[in-house]
Formats: sequence, structure tokens, C-alpha cells
Amino acid sequence: MLKVNLLTRDGASIAFDAEPSDTLLDAATKANIFLPAVCREGGCGTCRVTRKTGMVALGPHSKAALTDADRAAGDILLCRAKACSDLELTAPFDKAAIGFSPIPERSARVTEISPAGAGAVRLVLQYEDDPTHGRATEFIPGQFMELTLPGTSITRAYSLANTPNWDGTLEFLIRLHPQGVFSAYLKNEAKIGDSIFVKGPQGSFTADEASQAPRWFVGGGTGVAPMLSMLRQMAEFGDAREARLYFGVNTQDDLFALDVIEDLKKSLPHLAATLCVWKPTPDWNGFEGTPADALAAALAAESAHPDIYVCGPPALIEATEVVSLSAGVARNRIFSEQFSPA
Amino acid sequence: MFCYQCEQTYRSDEGAGCAGPKGMCGKDATTSDLQDVLLHVCEGIGQYLHRARVLGATDADADRFVLYAFFTTLTNVNFNAGKFVELIQQAAQHRDHAKALYEKAAQTAGKTPERLSGAAAFIPAKDMNGLLAQASEAAVKKDAATLGDDVVGLRSLVLYGLKGVCAYAHHAEVLGEERDAIYAAVEHALDLLASEPKEISPLLEEALALGHANFAAMEALDAANTGSFGTPVPTVVRMTPIKGKAILVSGHDLKDLHAILEATKDKGINVYTHGEVLPAHSYPKLKAYPQLVGNYGGAWQDQQKEFADFPGPIVMTSNCLIEPQARYRGRLFTAGPVGWAGVRHIENGDFSQVVQAAQALPGFNEDAPVETVTIGFGRDAVLGVADKVIDAVKSGAIRHFFLVGGCDGAAPGRNYYTDFAEHAPQDTMVLTIGCGKYRFNRHDFGTIGGLPRLLDMGQCNDAYSAIVVASKLAEAFGVGVNELPLSLIVSWFEQKAAAVLLTLLALGVRNVRLGPTLPAFLTPALVNVLVEKFGIQPIGDAKADIEASLSRAA
Repeated sequence: MLKVNLLTRDGASIAFDAEPSDTLLDAATKANIFLPAVCREGGCGTCRVTRKTGMVALGPHSKAALTDADRAAGDILLCRAKACSDLELTAPFDKAAIGFSPIPERSARVTEISPAGAGAVRLVLQYEDDPTHGRATEFIPGQFMELTLPGTSITRAYSLANTPNWDGTLEFLIRLHPQGVFSAYLKNEAKIGDSIFVKGPQGSFTADEASQAPRWFVGGGTGVAPMLSMLRQMAEFGDAREARLYFGVNTQDDLFALDVIEDLKKSLPHLAATLCVWKPTPDWNGFEGTPADALAAALAAESAHPDIYVCGPPALIEATEVVSLSAGVARNRIFSEQFSPA
Repeated sequence: MFCYQCEQTYRSDEGAGCAGPKGMCGKDATTSDLQDVLLHVCEGIGQYLHRARVLGATDADADRFVLYAFFTTLTNVNFNAGKFVELIQQAAQHRDHAKALYEKAAQTAGKTPERLSGAAAFIPAKDMNGLLAQASEAAVKKDAATLGDDVVGLRSLVLYGLKGVCAYAHHAEVLGEERDAIYAAVEHALDLLASEPKEISPLLEEALALGHANFAAMEALDAANTGSFGTPVPTVVRMTPIKGKAILVSGHDLKDLHAILEATKDKGINVYTHGEVLPAHSYPKLKAYPQLVGNYGGAWQDQQKEFADFPGPIVMTSNCLIEPQARYRGRLFTAGPVGWAGVRHIENGDFSQVVQAAQALPGFNEDAPVETVTIGFGRDAVLGVADKVIDAVKSGAIRHFFLVGGCDGAAPGRNYYTDFAEHAPQDTMVLTIGCGKYRFNRHDFGTIGGLPRLLDMGQCNDAYSAIVVASKLAEAFGVGVNELPLSLIVSWFEQKAAAVLLTLLALGVRNVRLGPTLPAFLTPALVNVLVEKFGIQPIGDAKADIEASLSRAA
């Protein structure tokens, strides 16, 4: 049995034992420590941590989840790594993102499905009252839920766009993929009152509350959902720090949640939002390009470094990391979450 | 960061104090440094207010602000760095008002106002980074190299004692009880600290003056609590949950508890006390609410498990907050001086969100087996049976009184207090205050002459009640308090306890046994002063200490 010690972003030390035959994720689970993970197959990068000392055997994984540069910097994926020696690891998330009891599985009903721009929908669910959890929606903004496609065991992970609340509401912004099974359900079958199983909250993509730096959010398409959740929570808490939102879509038609962003600007006086359209029609007079382009320009004009939060497709995350690093933002001040395939 | 204000501060062969990126309490270096700056600016407020008061001019808003600001810096109160940037700017505004007040008062009196330097002239930066760059000017140990640890330790004793005074005075102030004498003493202490004293004796005098001020603060709080909620009466409190929706109220603040009881009227929600709110059950106007059904859990250091297991919202109204865990962070609310970044804060006494949370969360699914404790032996309840007590002492039925009380904490050495209380002989009575009682309050102590052997006198500030009772008994026996068959076995953790200790010293109470360890800011030389002048002793072995106490009495 080998000893693993994981130091969280907020300085907590999480220790567990690992058999060399278990992935680190499984070893932690055996110790009733539920570390952030989504695909568990080396594809999403949610469970990425940094190895400080010790050796691991790293199984096959997607280059999008763990680039060669990440690997060279010592990063590993907990779902793909098996310990070959005692290990010291550091995690880019807080202890609060770690579960010490199994993740709740609850039942919810569809209360709203409406278009969110040309290629996405806004899905609102309502938890059913249950004796173990009541009807409260508890999570940390930035976290996601796994939704089960009714009548199947197929699950998909979607970030919450609203904030924790006491009436049991769960709000999602979901991109409709042409071949996606959940997308097909949402497009063709879903109706008010449908029952959906919800497993969560999960995920470690949450605001670093210990940091006092400005927060700059970069969202690609429905990757803006967790950003809206974090910003809404900042508004609820009266967090007056500087914040920026770079929200990118392909065409103007894809834009959505503009009313939410306008409301946020009213309650967060230091929030500036930039809508970025990649391929606009000639009548667009906003920013033309990707949110990473907009971010690069803004970072160049700024001397102090913000914390960067990015969610969206792999290419956006990579571009955001590149422009942030080259502007001098420290690697551990860039927090990212990739879309999982729908 | 450097902080050694609490009992659990980091101790090593090289010395004591939390100096890393994070203190033992969980406070990070940023927050700790900003708290130093806030206290420094408050010293500047005190420099002006002290001089203005001498000229007959006062600023109640600034005085109240100082109480609140100091309270936020106690151990386990406010961990939210962003809040301190805001408080420092507010402090600077209050100082500017205080300066104008003083200068006008001086002119009115035909005097030339003094031009003050030091904290009074310190200009805090507007943003976090600027403030952090200034923090070294306000650091606790900044003069240690030139003045030595004795002076710095004694300055710390004054600063931390002042924090305790401010905390109690704030609790009283929110219930409408204020005393000019307290504000004058607070201003005096701030002014002294701002003068960066280099000698031992004025600091020692100030510490005792704060002891008296704290007695006044505890008196004011006693008047506030009894005036608002009636005189505590012996009360049996359920210690286990009953079926139904539930809210847990922790901290110390009875006003917040009262507001929560009002907000939950006829809502089918049960309200439980936690930690130092337990004594609330003995106040007639609070116990009259039928939904105040019991107490849940024990002292503060167990909250991470207890809050995680509690199936409803939790309100933390004052110290002691420790790092909120993910399992309950979303249903934790802070109020008053308390704060943690990313946890909801109730700003204006409006607890409707907490009620909504209680209705949404599952509550307890079933009744747990009944367990109870009896509390509510405040000064009136005890003095009401003073004749019985006096007779029992005269007849020899009661040989000795032990006051075993103060803070609880996680340190293993705190088992001493359990051992002490449980091994006290059957012909002795055990009085208790504070959250240290949870170590033994479910133990069956039995009775002496119809009186319970364990008398729970209330919160830590109810040390006031204990002092009143001791004084009255001393009067009845025609002796001084130190001649009574009474020993004080005090456990301390934070700065309220430091203030209570100063009160005991100021009132001439000798032979206090203090533990589980002595404050790290007290150097060996300072400890010697306390031992020689006041007979303070560190705790040792419980049974040996019981024997020693009894033989002193014999």
C-alpha cells in the first residue's frame, strides 16, 4: 500500500492509501474521498492535478485533457494514474470540491424548455421533495450535474447556470449537438413534467474564494453557463471586485442570456461584458473574433493579473491558456473546464 | 502574517505564533495582515476620541464601530479578506470624523489641538495590494527586535484583552446597553497602544484597567440579556433532535436567536441552539417560544461534523466559526461580525432566507432518544437559594466550590477539565460557564442537600454572574473572595477569555488555575509577574490539583 497526499488549492491536506493496481481516483473512492471527475476515461481533464514528488504509471488519455506540455509540467489525470511510489500531489481546486460521502442522486421534473439562441436550449428542472435532501438545490457555482436521459442509463454532464436556492430550481444552458442523444431528446421529445434523474453536484470548477484578484471569465457558447452561476452568486453576495465576462459565439444568432448579463451588470457595478462573435454578419458592431482574441487584447492593456476562468470547447481553453500565459498570468491562476461531448 | 492571539497558535522549539500562509485557525495571511491594519487605524480613532472625550465631546458611532471592528478580528470570527478592505476604509472615515470632533472641541475650549502622529496619521491604501504593502507598519511584532518580547507580549495582552472587552460590549450594545465608562476605557487603551509604549508598568496597569472595563462590559451584557429576555431560571433542555424541519443557531448572540424565533413563529420549524447559545433556553422570554425545542451538538470545535449532520440551515452569530465544509457550506449563514468568503451573510437581521432554507431542507426524519441537561443557574437562581447554600457550607455538606469553565477546544490536554469536574469529590459543587462545560455536562453529578452538584451558570460572559455570586457569598461569610472555599479552574481559547482573566486579576481574585496551556504571548518573565502578583497557576494533573485546592481550603 502506497501513501498519497493531495494538497488542495486552499491548503488542505487530503491523505489516502493506494494499491498500485488502482487508479488514484478509485483508491480515493475506496477511502470515501470523492475527488472531482467526470468522464473517468482520460477524456475531460476534470481530475487533472500536479505531481510534486513520486512516480505514477499514466494510462492512455486524450491530449485535450492532458497536453504534452501539461505532462512535462508534472500534471497527471487521477482517473488514469496508478501510483508506483508514495506521492505528493497538488490540486487546482479547493477542499470544498471534494466529497466525503457519495454524490446525491435525486429526481427532478422539467418545468421549462426554451430556445437559447439558435443552437441551444435553456432547460429548467425542479427537484422533487425527498426525505434525505428535501427540495433544496445545493451546489457551489461552477459545478455541474449529471442528467440521465429518461428511460435509459445514458448520462450527460451540464453546468448549472443559476445559484444555490431553496425552491429546488436547476437551470441549464445546453447546446444542441446534431448527433447528440440528449440533444435529440431535448429537441424532439422533452416536455414539461418529464422526470429526470440528477446526480450531483459534482466538479471542481469553482471560484477561488481565497483569492482577492479580479475575476475574468471566458465562456464559449453554453460554456458561459457556469460563469453566469459564479457571477450571479457574486451579485447575491455583493462581491464588488472587478469582473469581466468574454462571451463568445459563432454568429449573432447564437447569442443568448443577454438579459441575464444586463441584470448582472446592474448589480455588479464593476462587471464589464464583451460579446464576441467569431463570424458576424456585416451589421454586427461589437467585437469580432473569439473570446480568446478579446482576452489577449485586454490582458495586453492591463498591468495587474486577474484570475482567469474559462469554460468551453477544447480549442477555446487552449487558446485562452496560451494568451493568458504569454501575458504573464501564472499557470495556477487559470481555471478551466472543458465541455464533455454530448 | 504573524499572530499568536489564541491558545491553539503554532508552537515549536523556535517559538510560538502562526506565521505561515495560513494560521492554525484557518485564517489566511492576507486576512490576518488586513486585520492588523484595521486595528492600527482603530488605534488612530482612539487617539482622537480619547482626547475629545477629555474635552467633553464624544462620537457614539465611532465607538460602536470600534467595538464591531475589533470583534471581527477575534479568533474564529471573520475570515473574509475582502470585508477588511471595506472596514479599513470605514475606519479611516471614522478617524477623520474623530479628528474633526477633537479639533473642534479643542478650539471651543480655547486650546490648540495636538498634532498627532503614528496611527492617527496613517493613511491606509485604497486597495488590497496597497494595504498588504502597509501591513508591516501594523504588525504585532514590529518592535520585537528593538524592545524585546516582554514589552511586545504585554502590548499583545492589552490588545487581545481589549478585543474581548469590545466583543462583550458589542453584544451588549446591539441589545441597547452601552456604558460611557466602557467607551472611555476602550479609547484609553487604543490611545496607549497607539503611543507604542516601551515600558512594562503602564502596560500592566492598562491590562488591569481593561479587566475593570470588561467587568463593566459583562455587567452591561448581563443587564442587556436579562433586560431583554428576563432573568434565567433553572431549565431542563433536550439535547437530542425531534422529528421536523430544523434551524441550528450557533455563536453567542441572543438578539439574533430572538429574531430567528420571531421569524419561525407558527412555521412548523424547530429551532436548536448550538455551542454557547445553549444558555438561551433559560431566559423566560426565549424559552416561551415553543419552537425552541432543544440543543444540538456540543462545543465549537466539533462543528464540522455536527453541522454536516444537521439537516437544516445553520446560523453562526459570532465566534467560533471554523472552515465551513462543502457538505454544509451552502446552508450556512453568518451574521453580525462573522464572515467567510463564499458563505451567505445576513446583514440586517432579516432571517427570512434561513426560514426558506429550513422549509426546503429535509429536517429530522424521526425523534432521537431523549437526553437532557439542566441549565439556568445564573446569579438570581443561585442567590435565591443562598440560605440553603450557606447552611450547607456551615454544616460541612458542601466542602468546596470549583468553578470549572471557559472555552473548549480541540487540544488533547483539555481532557483535564473533564477529569477535574468528574473527579471532584461528592461533597463539592461544580459551577460552570462557557462552552468548556460540554466536556462534562452530560455526566450525572447527583445532588447535595437538594441542590444539583453541577450548576451551569451560562455563557462565558456569565463569569459576571459567578463573580456576583462569589462576592455575595463572601459578604455573607464575612470574608474576602479569596478566603472562600472556592477554586477557579479556567480554560481559555480566545480573547473573550483573555478579557475575563484580566477581570479576575483586576478584582484581586487569586489562585486561578489556567490552561490547557498559558498564552504564547506571555513570556516567561511575564508569566512570573502573573504568578507572583496574582497567584496564577498553570493546570497540572487533575486529581493532584483537586487535592491541592482542597488542602488550601482546609
